[in-house]
Amino acid sequence: MGDNLSDLSNSAIQEINECSSSNDLESIRVKYLGKKGTVTAALKSLSEIDPRDRPAHGKRINEIKTLIQEKLSERKASIQKQEINQNIENKMIDVSLPGRVNFQGHRHPVTKTLLEIEEIFYGAGFVVEDGPEIEDEYHNFTALNIPHNHPARAMHDTFYFNSEYLLRTHTSPIQIRSMEKDGVPIRVIAPGKVYRRDSDITHTPMFHQIEGLVIDKGINFSHLKGILHQFINTFFEENTDVRFRPSYFPFTEPSAEVDILSKDNKWLEILGCGMVHPKVLENLGINTEIYSGYAFGMGVERLAMLKYGIKDIRSFYENDLNFLNQF
Amino acid sequence: MLRFSPRKIVLFFMTRVIKSINKDANTPKWLKKRLEQSGYKSINAIVDIANFVMLETGQPLHTYDLKKINEKIIVRRANDKEAIDILDGSRKLLDSDFLVIADSKKALGIAGIMGSLDSGISDDTENIVLESAYFNYETIMGRARSLSLHSEASMRFERGVDPMIQEYAIQRFTSLINEIAGGSNGPIHSSISKKELPKNKFITLRKDKIKQILGITIPNQTIKSILNRLDMEIKEKDFGYIGWSVKAPSYRFDINEECDLIEEISRVYGFDQIPENVEQQNMMLMNKSSRQLKRERIDSIFHQLGYNEVVNYSFVSPSMNSLSDSKADMIDLQNPISIEMSVMRNSLWPGLLNNLSHNIKRQHKDIKIFEVGKHFSSRKRRPIETNVIAGLIYGNRRLESWAYSKVAVDFYDLKGHLEDLFSVFNLKNVKFEPVSHPMLCPGVAAEIKLKNKKIGIIGMLNPELSRDMKIEQDPFLFELDYDCLELPALTSFTSSEYYPSSRRDLSFVLPNKNRISNVTEEIQGLDIKELKDIVVFDLFDKENGENTQKSISIGLIFQAKSRTLKDTEIDGFMSKVIKMLETNFQITIR
Repeated sequence: MGDNLSDLSNSAIQEINECSSSNDLESIRVKYLGKKGTVTAALKSLSEIDPRDRPAHGKRINEIKTLIQEKLSERKASIQKQEINQNIENKMIDVSLPGRVNFQGHRHPVTKTLLEIEEIFYGAGFVVEDGPEIEDEYHNFTALNIPHNHPARAMHDTFYFNSEYLLRTHTSPIQIRSMEKDGVPIRVIAPGKVYRRDSDITHTPMFHQIEGLVIDKGINFSHLKGILHQFINTFFEENTDVRFRPSYFPFTEPSAEVDILSKDNKWLEILGCGMVHPKVLENLGINTEIYSGYAFGMGVERLAMLKYGIKDIRSFYENDLNFLNQF
Repeated sequence: MLRFSPRKIVLFFMTRVIKSINKDANTPKWLKKRLEQSGYKSINAIVDIANFVMLETGQPLHTYDLKKINEKIIVRRANDKEAIDILDGSRKLLDSDFLVIADSKKALGIAGIMGSLDSGISDDTENIVLESAYFNYETIMGRARSLSLHSEASMRFERGVDPMIQEYAIQRFTSLINEIAGGSNGPIHSSISKKELPKNKFITLRKDKIKQILGITIPNQTIKSILNRLDMEIKEKDFGYIGWSVKAPSYRFDINEECDLIEEISRVYGFDQIPENVEQQNMMLMNKSSRQLKRERIDSIFHQLGYNEVVNYSFVSPSMNSLSDSKADMIDLQNPISIEMSVMRNSLWPGLLNNLSHNIKRQHKDIKIFEVGKHFSSRKRRPIETNVIAGLIYGNRRLESWAYSKVAVDFYDLKGHLEDLFSVFNLKNVKFEPVSHPMLCPGVAAEIKLKNKKIGIIGMLNPELSRDMKIEQDPFLFELDYDCLELPALTSFTSSEYYPSSRRDLSFVLPNKNRISNVTEEIQGLDIKELKDIVVFDLFDKENGENTQKSISIGLIFQAKSRTLKDTEIDGFMSKVIKMLETNFQITIR
């Protein structure tokens, strides 16, 4: 009887050791320890044994059962480890291959610059206003103190549709419309496309402007200087030397052009500004004894060219993808 | 001599005859040099001295050859269509809006603009008539430009000339010509129109106003010293307590108002002396503007989908425009730069197609671009501007890679991109309905509708146009009303318990005349509250004798808000759906 049990134990251990898959291991467990397994059968047959021998015999069978269980779980762990390792090996890839990339589009540099400027002024409490690109003579010229035949109209080289309508030459008419609509005090930024009959390396017949207007009690030239210098420092992301140079615009007085000092120590003109001319305010029925204000305007392409080192203004409108992808 | 005195015109006309000028006299070196430094070429002594005096005094002078003048010199209105050959060699047709200088027979020049070719002096001129005139700027303004002319005289007259300097200019010319080329001087003749010459008046200058505009207090002494240096006459008001009365010299005819004086003071005092200041404002915390938020959202969707933004000119060539929408009135420019830029675009597509061919020529193969801008039309001769967003896709759906096979973009790529956009803007029930459009391929074009209103158009470029443009693959285009996209209002969160959903798939054959959207719309029309979603997950055309049919598989997803649905309930919904489909569409369940 003892020898039979030893054989049983030895053959079970041998089978377990030789087994190499979780499925086979499970069959071995069933064969020995399952309901109809040989070890289970041996335990059941204890009742047929001489009661005196039973305890020793029972103990022996239980020892074998425990041994097999231990061996099974040992083997199970090692087989699972092997199987996972195998699995991992199958999963090996070349991590240097490029991933599944999606191309990301870019903002046009004009839009990028325009929105940047809008945001800077928005932060200082300016409201952004739009207006029509096809304008009438009154809003584009007359309301801005540029009467018919004024030499300033020649400077603007206007595109006309007929005697009534033209393409706006600046975004100032937006400001006139805002004042007509909302009155004063006012604090607006007017961005948009403008058109002048001009085409060469520094001019395109369409370009973008942003103009600003503030009218309130107690607004003066020192405020204009303050906000524009702050704007320039913010836009160029560094402290920049600026210079206000006397100039002429029909709708402002005093008028100034603003220059910044470039890296190679040259003064570059970047915007025009001034205190709103009393005639412009009087045209709108605003009392100039109470209210005063400043206005400024800048070319978006010009600012983008300075900021990004773009040489030819026409490249903005070629829309070459090699150009656009850089922004 | 002067036969002219209309209301608005102010003129002062002065002449002197100078005879026996030495025609061989040379312009002295010093004068030549100074002319050259001012950008003038030396021509002969008479012309050089006239130019020099003009530069010195700002007063344009004109010289005529005495022998070419019949009897007398008058100033008159030009006759209608009066022709004159002017100094630059061109012939100009005038009308009564112009003044001419004339003798008894013909015009000698266009007043304040340019002299005539045959009345001018030549190298053998010995006797001249010198003219020194004042025209108010309203008389000259815009006239030269209307003749496409630009002259030194017109530039000065239309900006204004000192009304008191004419005689000085004649004297200065005379003394220089006598010194250089001799000559015997006749008397100075002068005439003035009935209206008096403009005179500068005293202007009130208030210290308060200076402070209001410049933001600084400038000492009285400094202000007076600046005005003195500018030749202004100053009268104290209340001993300078309030301010002053100031009169500008005649050559400063641009000083008419208080603000003109303030400008002078600030200019001379120095803009750099005015400190930078920050406005006192009520502090305000602001979120980004909805205008910016909207633009950012649109841009981020299109950028993620791989679109680059482009910006094109608002004017296009009439041939491209007429294609894009035949119904709209074209708006053309009176004075375009070229025919290629002569009408306002009535669609953004011509620009996008232009960008497409430009980039194909530069060897780009996969192109996705979009633009936000205006298109233009007119109704009853009034211009209409519409904000739109337009896009174009071309080439392969994905970047070339080992990981995918090459698949060309198609209609459903572009439609999907728009649906992404609509879902971000919370636009529901946007419909795509077949349409015909001259630029699009018949059968692959749809109108985009929201609540029965047209908000856009989408489709494949008409293959005939692709052939004309010599492009190999088919581009797909859309244009969409920008204003129909509105940032969704804040929606408050509704908490809900989760109950599992059930999906039932249904495969059937649909007679081909029906569109899938009809089927899904009718299912939704059954108003089964628990029907959450419908997906079309399989679709192919099936040949069945002469008729093609569509074989479709759809999945219906059911979910209730407050309980788990029972199978029997879902069976009920399904039989309702199937019954409707069989009745309305004659489907065959597979």
